[in-house]
Amino acid sequence: MTSHTTKVWSAAAAVALTFTAGAALANPYAEYEGTTLVVNFPAHPHYNAAIEVLDQFTEQTGIEVEVDQLQYLKMRERQTLELTKDEGDYDLIAYVVFSKADYVYADQLENLAKYFMNPKLADPNYDQADLIDGYVQNIGVAGGQKGYLPGQLGSAFGIPFGSETSVLAYRKDIFEKHGIDVPMNYDQLLDAACKIPEVEPGMGGMASRAASGHQASHAFLLHLAPLGGRVFDDNWEPIINNEAGVAAAEALKTIVDCGPEGSTTFGPAEAAAAFKQGQAAMFMDSIAFAAGFEDPSQSTVAGKVGYALHPEGVRRGSQTGGFGIAIPKNAQNKEAAFLLMQWLTSKEGDLAVAMAGGNPSRFSTYENAELNAKYPYSATFGEALKYADPDWRPIIPTWGKINADIGTTLSQVLTEGLDIQEALDGVAERARATMDEAGYYTWQ
Amino acid sequence: MSVARAARLTPYMFLAPAALVLAVALFYPICYMIYASFLDWNPSQRIGEAEFVGLRNYIKLFGDPNFRESLWVTLKFAGIVVTLEMFIGVGLALLLDRNIRGMSVLRTLFILPMMIAPIVVGLMWRYMYHPTVGIFNKTLTNLGFDTIPWLSDGNWAFASVIIADVWQWTPFIFILSLAALQSLPSSAIEASKIDGATGWQQIIYIKLPLMLPVLIVTLLLRLIDSFKVLEVILVMTNGGPGLSTEILSLRINRTASEFRELGEAAAMSNLLLIVLLILTFAMFIYNKAQDARAARLRAVEEEA
Repeated sequence: MTSHTTKVWSAAAAVALTFTAGAALANPYAEYEGTTLVVNFPAHPHYNAAIEVLDQFTEQTGIEVEVDQLQYLKMRERQTLELTKDEGDYDLIAYVVFSKADYVYADQLENLAKYFMNPKLADPNYDQADLIDGYVQNIGVAGGQKGYLPGQLGSAFGIPFGSETSVLAYRKDIFEKHGIDVPMNYDQLLDAACKIPEVEPGMGGMASRAASGHQASHAFLLHLAPLGGRVFDDNWEPIINNEAGVAAAEALKTIVDCGPEGSTTFGPAEAAAAFKQGQAAMFMDSIAFAAGFEDPSQSTVAGKVGYALHPEGVRRGSQTGGFGIAIPKNAQNKEAAFLLMQWLTSKEGDLAVAMAGGNPSRFSTYENAELNAKYPYSATFGEALKYADPDWRPIIPTWGKINADIGTTLSQVLTEGLDIQEALDGVAERARATMDEAGYYTWQ
Repeated sequence: MSVARAARLTPYMFLAPAALVLAVALFYPICYMIYASFLDWNPSQRIGEAEFVGLRNYIKLFGDPNFRESLWVTLKFAGIVVTLEMFIGVGLALLLDRNIRGMSVLRTLFILPMMIAPIVVGLMWRYMYHPTVGIFNKTLTNLGFDTIPWLSDGNWAFASVIIADVWQWTPFIFILSLAALQSLPSSAIEASKIDGATGWQQIIYIKLPLMLPVLIVTLLLRLIDSFKVLEVILVMTNGGPGLSTEILSLRINRTASEFRELGEAAAMSNLLLIVLLILTFAMFIYNKAQDARAARLRAVEEEA
């Protein structure tokens, strides 16, 4: 009986407090209190960090969040089915960057304009300018130049959350021991990659993904942009087989040939594992792996790793990728979902996720002193973002097919000694047929 | 309704529920797939929104060198795997068809690989084939040999998936052949012994011919199954390097989920289905022929 009375009293006090506070500062979340949102997140270090801070959101807003977490390619399959339903189960989804093309083209994502225009929902302190612009253009905006690039008529369908760029991770101890300079450009990078197995027997130069399919294609594109190449020109004609394309494929082949044993079957996880186990002196891939390298429970190289910008070819161009979050057209609690989306990508939310091990989406988070103290490499990553190239791969509906073709063909280059020029000519020819069929040459 | 007519309808009424289940569970999905193979259908569309393109998907498939390559890989894989499994499985059965102490334990051990989930088999082999920490290359290095690029070279990768499949499915043939062997009439074997047949002669002239009906059915079952293998290869190589291990079911899977061409994937599935139907039909005809032959023999015996 006593405890019951106490509860009643504290409830009354809480109500009184809410009303008093209401006079000064209304609670924008009050209307949605008790709502349960269902969100679909990938199994990924950034989202594991995000899930840790969701409790803070629930505490602040009274909105409950239920997470359905899936491996990222499986997540995409599930969403493809989910988004065609009349009434969807997901209120908020995380999507892989190349899904932007499919979902926006099929009109399955909410345009965010009406939410940011709604004064009851939009937080005036959100500070859009602080969001990393390369990521926003790459992941969030659709409808600009070529449909997927920045442009005057583009608008936002998602907000980057768990986005990544590429940096070069290298073994400080090995580089110092043999007097090798940290590579600043591609010549130095390829020299170092092949010098290391000579001076350090048993160790590969650089661990890279190269497995047949998506992985080999990803690895190739990573070199294509800095070496001055593109998959298509401005008229959607494939130019992947020009000089820059050949140079990028040669760079990949050199790296794999001088890399640790079994490189041609590596996905990103295997390549990162090889680096963690000391089987390679360099690793150039997403920043998302850095936290794993510095964790002594899974890495034998913790504390010995230096981080540098993605080396320069004829230009700087590191990858842009990762995930964004968006509200499906068929979601049932869109406004509450927007509030969660806004909270997660706000300055407060972004920092909280970053402190738990996630990848920031805001410049201010990268500059945060507390974060830099905890993760010393954050400053380099912030610098790398300035050169992140939103056009390092095309985000168009036909990309899945072309990407797979690039990947299997390059795998043949790496394992069966197929001639590079011949291989890329074949890719270009098939890509053109795919694009033609999809109507990209209608206006020519 | 007359009583006679009702009586005539009774069996159909009893059959109706089964026919209904068959129609819903079997024919509906197949018809759906056949219909889908004539569509240009992207997974972001509902089936109603997809464009009807007639035979375009099929025409495209036959012009696609990657599809032809994958069909060739599948035929090669099925042919080699089933031949190896038949030889090893039947051989083992002939060896172990005797009274050894602890035979039942041994038999259970032999069929263990078959009972493991395919994904697990794939993962297991993938780690054993690992270039540096895998048991095979580690052993080779310790013995002073060069390592083998198990999964990173096209030809070796193809051999590696064959080894894994043979490991997993030989027991299936073993257990069926053993059952066949043990149900052979002992009179024939004893008669051959009295006539002075050696062990080899017994196998070649008595045991194998008598086992043949079972062996043929086993062979066809395995062949049908090997055309559909997916998980083990998906986990081990995902079709790579290049297209060297991309069997048809893997290509179908990629076409649907990676290339997002559901119509084309359906067309491929239909082609695979046709190949399998032919095999099944062959099995059916063989059974029929066997039955006819047995009936004829019986008739001759009765006349005599």
